[in-house]
Amino acid sequence: MITSTHPPAADPESKLRPRRYGIAFAVAALVVVALIASSILNYVYLDTIPGRASLYGLLAVALITVGTYILVRAFDRDRAMRRKHLIRAGVLIGLGVVLWLLVIDVFLFTQSAGPVVAGICALACLPTTAFGLFVVRRMDRNHKEPWRLVLVAATWGAIVATSLVVWGETIWEVSAQRALVPGPGLDVSLAFMAGILEELAKGAAVLLLFLIMRNEFDDVVDGIVYGAAVGLGFNFLESISYMTNQYSIFAPEGIGGVAAGIQWYGRQVLGLFFGHATYTAYIGAGVGIARQLPRVRQKVFAIVAGFIIAIAGHFSWDAWATIFPIQNTLFGLVEIHLRTLVMTGPFTAGVIALLLFGIRYEGQNLLDQMHKEAATGHGAILPDEVPILASPWRRLRQRMQALTRTGPRGYLTVSRLQTAQLDLAMERWHRERKELDTPLEAEQQLRDRVMQLRHWVAA
Amino acid sequence: MSSVTYDQLRTLYRTLLVFATVGVLILATGLVEFAYFEPPGQTTGARAHIVGIFKYDPTNRQPVGPDRSEFARNEELAAVVDWSSIPANLTVDARWYDSFGSIDGQVGPSTPPGLANDTVIPVVVPPGYHYILPGRYTFVVERLKDGVPVEVLGRRFVVVDRT
Repeated sequence: MITSTHPPAADPESKLRPRRYGIAFAVAALVVVALIASSILNYVYLDTIPGRASLYGLLAVALITVGTYILVRAFDRDRAMRRKHLIRAGVLIGLGVVLWLLVIDVFLFTQSAGPVVAGICALACLPTTAFGLFVVRRMDRNHKEPWRLVLVAATWGAIVATSLVVWGETIWEVSAQRALVPGPGLDVSLAFMAGILEELAKGAAVLLLFLIMRNEFDDVVDGIVYGAAVGLGFNFLESISYMTNQYSIFAPEGIGGVAAGIQWYGRQVLGLFFGHATYTAYIGAGVGIARQLPRVRQKVFAIVAGFIIAIAGHFSWDAWATIFPIQNTLFGLVEIHLRTLVMTGPFTAGVIALLLFGIRYEGQNLLDQMHKEAATGHGAILPDEVPILASPWRRLRQRMQALTRTGPRGYLTVSRLQTAQLDLAMERWHRERKELDTPLEAEQQLRDRVMQLRHWVAA
Repeated sequence: MSSVTYDQLRTLYRTLLVFATVGVLILATGLVEFAYFEPPGQTTGARAHIVGIFKYDPTNRQPVGPDRSEFARNEELAAVVDWSSIPANLTVDARWYDSFGSIDGQVGPSTPPGLANDTVIPVVVPPGYHYILPGRYTFVVERLKDGVPVEVLGRRFVVVDRT
């Protein structure tokens, strides 16, 4: 019977982990302090609807944060303890989400468009965002990220990051509107605001994920996947916010639905991968590259570089998108698409280039490790399995053959075996590069798991 | 660590640094743009006296009732400016901005004596619409230099309710 987690639990006695967790704790503490300070400032000095929402939303954010932490750590525990932790995490996150939705509904949406419109907007954004997350996760062809972490990333982007920026942006925006000359100067200031605050808020989630769950954060490809997931989560809630706002503004003119629909298309179809997902993917890329660099200085440069590109990309869209005039004719529809392609396309192309190179780099190294493992003669990876494991299509074909022979159960068992073998290759790769703080026993545990799964497949 | 592996990682790292350099250039361009439209040292000390924001009667083109900061959606509104409060040698204008940053009403640019007959500046209902759009409106009296607004001499905010 398998009692270990999958992949096996990291060494709880590791001397490296506490240091990393210390940094994670400091980052989380900074986030919480920023949340509390900005919400109190908002409430005291602005006394507006967002001010009240921010103050009451603090509890929701705290619940989500604690729940997420317990959820993520639950998978490092044995099965008996894991269940308890999962239940605790589920209750906390559930309470947080409900509370947050109440805050949003009562203080923001119901006062503008009403809960029904807010609900319809959320339903409209769900399938597109889910499609985005599915595509983003599929991009990691060699070693897919666990759904739980992809969803955690998206949830953080949607709830924690948006909460952070509501407060920060309110203060910046009101201060700028009171101090600056309206027009291009103010627009540039607000573009800096969006770029800096939103990317810092989203990037904090990626950074925390890396610090807490480094064993699931392998390289640049994983970083891009997690970053894009955070961006998609952020984009989800921002889309709902803009759709309800536009609806409430234009409903009395009889075009509320059209206005909300245009926002939906712009943010959930045209901008699904071109906007927030692209920007935050750069932060993830920076963190992912830093994960494998040998020197601390290089690690810091890589992370800072990721943030700079994300902020610059976001800034350029917010500041200069209006340079492209959109005519009020049918050609305007073409212009809208061209504008997105010209303004955000180069950034998306850049992140795709990093992704493709990262997949190739990861694939070559996994192949190398699979050959080495096969050569040991342990039997976890056999020499004739290496070409199959190295190719996503051949792996799929093998699973489909199992499906034909023994049904869905066979498909799942073969899928688990392939995943465990790739986990083993990944573990070997990181160990060879001295990037692990798990003991050698963890590698043997993975090998044992592969052998047990192999017996199941044979049976 | 094999040299091939390190070279690949180094390529990724360097590519990221090249992208970041482009990012720094973009942000620097933004700072230059900001400095152009918000040039430092443009304070004259002049202050425009905004008499108030009032409900507007479009038929008589006159303000009605008391000075207010909040309006219903179906109300029209206008600002009243005392142009004599501003030094006569300045080039100024007055504008209404809606919450999207669009200009929804303007007088000038001219000198304050040249605008003496334009003391009432209404918010214009957008063409094809029944009412002005709800949201936060900003009214500013600005000083211009070389055709570019460089200083706000007076500013008021009002809210137009959604209902």
